[in-house]
Amino acid sequence: MSLLQDAKNWVRSRSIHVAYVDVGSCNGCDIEILACLAPRYDIEQYGIYVHNNPREADILLVVGAMTPPWVERLPALWAKIPAPKAAIAIGNCPVSGCVYNRRETYILGPVAKYIPIAAEVPGCPPRPTEILSAVLAVAPTVFRDYEVNRS
Amino acid sequence: MVQSIFWYLKEFLRGPWIHAFLFAKTAPLVTPSYFREYPSLTEKECTHCFTCRMICPAPGAIEVLQEGGTWHPVIHRGHCLRCGLCVEACPEGVLASGRILQWQEEDRTSFAATFHIQVDHATCMRCGNCCVSCPVNKEQDPQMASGGHSANNEVIMKISSGRHTVIHEERCVGCRTCEGACPNSAIRVARVVEGLQGVAEG
Ligand code: SF4
Ligand code: SF4
Ligand code: SF4
Ligand code: SF4
Repeated sequence: MSLLQDAKNWVRSRSIHVAYVDVGSCNGCDIEILACLAPRYDIEQYGIYVHNNPREADILLVVGAMTPPWVERLPALWAKIPAPKAAIAIGNCPVSGCVYNRRETYILGPVAKYIPIAAEVPGCPPRPTEILSAVLAVAPTVFRDYEVNRS
Repeated sequence: MVQSIFWYLKEFLRGPWIHAFLFAKTAPLVTPSYFREYPSLTEKECTHCFTCRMICPAPGAIEVLQEGGTWHPVIHRGHCLRCGLCVEACPEGVLASGRILQWQEEDRTSFAATFHIQVDHATCMRCGNCCVSCPVNKEQDPQMASGGHSANNEVIMKISSGRHTVIHEERCVGCRTCEGACPNSAIRVARVVEGLQGVAEG
């Protein structure tokens, strides 16, 4: 058990697959996530890979203020991700709706109302380092000894 | 041919190259000191003038609260954009972030603002919440209770003869507390803000 678990822990610590979904952002946070992929921040050196396929993902990055079309689709997308999984809210929008959350707008936030959010990275937009450290901080708490903790 | 293969292998079999290829890491990522972080408090005293609340573009990002007899601004993460406008607008230098205060001193920038209170009398139900919540009203007439009636004519606005009446629009500081207190979204405070450069603050 424990040897297998150790192997799983080691593999999972170096292989975190990320998908991201934009539920109504201005693209500011998307650009910061993109910057994580570029050589300056280079998330692959930490063993984080962007796939954008929920069925292959471990972590879902949610970007943007919750807009009406996503109310049904976001939980459906979340259901497609195999366990163990975690969702991280990137930026102010999924947390509070940010500047869009005013009268006469169609913001139905926060995103935590629709899917469980493991971590929130505030900022408009957050720095790539903040996104990176959030993913690295969430991953061990969710994935390490997952099978042991579940039973 | 053979020689070039030899040179090729020799080039790639260098220890430092192999090490760099396998264990490359970017330098530890540190936030530079000039990064415009969430505004932090300096030692200066807050006079609860609400200029920071007036200028803030993000709903719910900043509040000015009284605790233990002293006032201080509170910034809410998840709402604040880190735009730094509150830092720039505060006349007392209570807030600091990145190099904003330094630039402000160099460029002598400031803001001049006027406010216009607009009430939609078709949706206003004369509850007086706006008048009671207004911090300027509170200073002028601490007795004003629910209903928003007042014998005092120095207040910004009150409910008078069953109607919302604006008396001293020029006293408004644009904090928009009244907007948040209105149950019908009937009151709006338009802020007309002008950025000034090279003019002494005042
Ligand atoms: S602008 Fe400055 S002095 Fe005025 S309430 Fe805000 S922090 Fe206090
Ligand atoms: S930095 Fe900008 S968004 Fe944040 S509290 Fe100040 S004015 Fe508001
Ligand atoms: S914005 Fe509203 S609450 Fe603030 S000073 Fe003006 S009238 Fe009063
Ligand atoms: S809070 Fe709104 S409804 Fe009540 S008196 Fe003021 S404007 Fe009218």
